Amino acid sequence: MEKAFARSFDSLAAIFDYAEEALAASDVGDAVRFPVHLALEELFTNMVKYNPDVEGDIEVSVDASSAGVTVTLTEYGVDEFDVTTPRNIDTDAPLKDRTPGGLGLHLIQNLVDKLEYEYHDRRSRVIFTKESGKKHV
Amino acid sequence: MFEIEYGSDGEIVCKGRLDAAQCEKAQSFMDDVVESRTLNFTALDYISSAGLGILLKTQKRLAESGAALRIINVNNHIHDVFHYSGFHAIFDIKAKQE
Repeated sequence: MEKAFARSFDSLAAIFDYAEEALAASDVGDAVRFPVHLALEELFTNMVKYNPDVEGDIEVSVDASSAGVTVTLTEYGVDEFDVTTPRNIDTDAPLKDRTPGGLGLHLIQNLVDKLEYEYHDRRSRVIFTKESGKKHV
Repeated sequence: MFEIEYGSDGEIVCKGRLDAAQCEKAQSFMDDVVESRTLNFTALDYISSAGLGILLKTQKRLAESGAALRIINVNNHIHDVFHYSGFHAIFDIKAKQE
């Protein structure tokens, strides 16, 4: 199922509720639920932050089964931004060299099992999958 | 739903979900912290990079005066987030006994 959400951080609560509806129909546990919520938030808020002048909604679909969860986010009329490009985050840097920001995509790339990006005719689409039964740390 | 307040022992108690929509409340509270404090995450279920940014910003500000935040009772999922963020190198973090 797919649903459109307004480009606002205020949409987050409704997005989480929507994801929970889909997840409730499967038997995935918190080990899948947490990273799905996290990746969904990071990708959605990135789309909101980096395309502030775009008016169209962001389409979200969540497909859950006992094998795992696949989430798709689609937006239109935007520039290309490949979220699969590795982030150069130095997680060993001392406090004085750390700067707030930039961790979101780094976290997604580590916490989901598959992350894909498609761009065509100014349509941007991100698809990620979190499988059940895998532990990352 | 996110709540942040001082506990009776001076700890900063966080509850609920710290996502991007809740950051203004968290940032406003943390901006008033001027000395070393313990953040109790017993009832914090979720945090995203927006919340990590607030913790990092506060830790950097406090470090200028020799103070620091300590974080206790962190659940497994938030612990994973801290791990991938390298926060163990810059915060004193204690996991929740689960």
